[in-house]
Amino acid sequence: MYYFSQALIAVFLFSAQTTWLEIFSFGGVTPDLILVWVVYCGVRYSRSSGIGAGIALGLAQDSLSGGLLGVNTLSKSLIAYFFSTLKNKFYVEGMIPIGIFLIVSSIFDGLVFYFSMGTILKGEVASSFLYQSLPIYSIYNALIGPFMFVVLDKIDDWLQPKMSNPYMGMRR
Amino acid sequence: MPRKGNKSKKNIVLVSAILLFSLALMTLNAKQEKGTGFLDSVAGFILSPFQNFFTQTIQSVSDSINHHFLLVDVARENDQLKLEIQRLISEKNQLIERLASQKRLAKLMAYEDDWDKKIVVASVIGRDATQWSKVVVINKGTQNGIRDHLAVVTDAGVIGQVIHAGVNTSKVLLIIDGRSAVDALFQDNRVSGVVVGMGEDECKLKFVPNTADVKVGDTMLSSGLGGIFPKGLVIGKVSQVSRKKQGLFQEITLTPSSDFSRLEEVLVLLP
Repeated sequence: MYYFSQALIAVFLFSAQTTWLEIFSFGGVTPDLILVWVVYCGVRYSRSSGIGAGIALGLAQDSLSGGLLGVNTLSKSLIAYFFSTLKNKFYVEGMIPIGIFLIVSSIFDGLVFYFSMGTILKGEVASSFLYQSLPIYSIYNALIGPFMFVVLDKIDDWLQPKMSNPYMGMRR
Repeated sequence: MPRKGNKSKKNIVLVSAILLFSLALMTLNAKQEKGTGFLDSVAGFILSPFQNFFTQTIQSVSDSINHHFLLVDVARENDQLKLEIQRLISEKNQLIERLASQKRLAKLMAYEDDWDKKIVVASVIGRDATQWSKVVVINKGTQNGIRDHLAVVTDAGVIGQVIHAGVNTSKVLLIIDGRSAVDALFQDNRVSGVVVGMGEDECKLKFVPNTADVKVGDTMLSSGLGGIFPKGLVIGKVSQVSRKKQGLFQEITLTPSSDFSRLEEVLVLLP
């Protein structure tokens, strides 16, 4: 039940990301729902579940993109790893900490793309990427993230009592 | 103390495993293009019905708002006129190109009509799942005759090439992606260059010598070199030109003729 519901959330988020989210593009940039969900998994779930979710979501994102396989797997799994490791050392409730986490993760995610594009793929990246697209991307994610956290918390709270095996509940 | 040591060892092993796994994937993918086909196909197969559903829903909602709740006839007529203008511009460019080719080659060989090729009409059902790649997903695949490295166009001009053909869906790398490069030439002075994507709405035109006479508004066509895009397809218009005293080449920015934010139906040119 739990894993099925998580798969449904993944399908919904990926479908939204690849179809109608374009409507909300600002300066050619849209928020990354998958990144927000990875940070959510890192912060809210146990360490192994968070990292597992990061790897799975990164791999799925790579498969659904035309980019180099492994770039998102690397960034998403490291983001999940860092937040699942650091969550006990920081206060992670409230809009501001979540927003800061999302800004940091977005910058990291963008930089992984930037360096992989420049080194492995030898592709072109516009000079405005670092000072225009990446800041917009980070701020956009930081703005949308806390609301997504609230929705995902609600879904998780609703699912918890419905699980047959209480140990499958991965909220820390 | 030993527990802390164990924990940090575990952390190192975990991070190393993540790095190794990701780098192995990247290396495999970079070396062999076909390596990701299976994962791509599975992911595309699972998601395409949902993408279709979302796209059709948005389309019908958007149509309702545009055509029923607002100005019913005016919106429709405007759409038709815009399409007609695009068609006429495209036709004019094709005719100019054909005329130029005829003049040059009439005595040497028979003109080969590029537009006699078979085409497949496909709908755009999704976009790239990441923020940075400029890729769209179309609802036609190998069972419709589509395969890798086929040109994809709209009535306005070139939009990209197929980079992965699945059974029912295919991924199209747009010419604005940083990995895209299309050999091109100017419609008027026949100077050639390479149109390179920048990951944004505009492209760069590389390797155009400083001596070439290039003006803002000049039209760029595909040169036919490279074997993917047939000769004479409109790519875009020059939007900015700058010449440096030291450099060999001009710095030219190109605005693609197609609007990539509003892609709905596209044509795949079969060989």
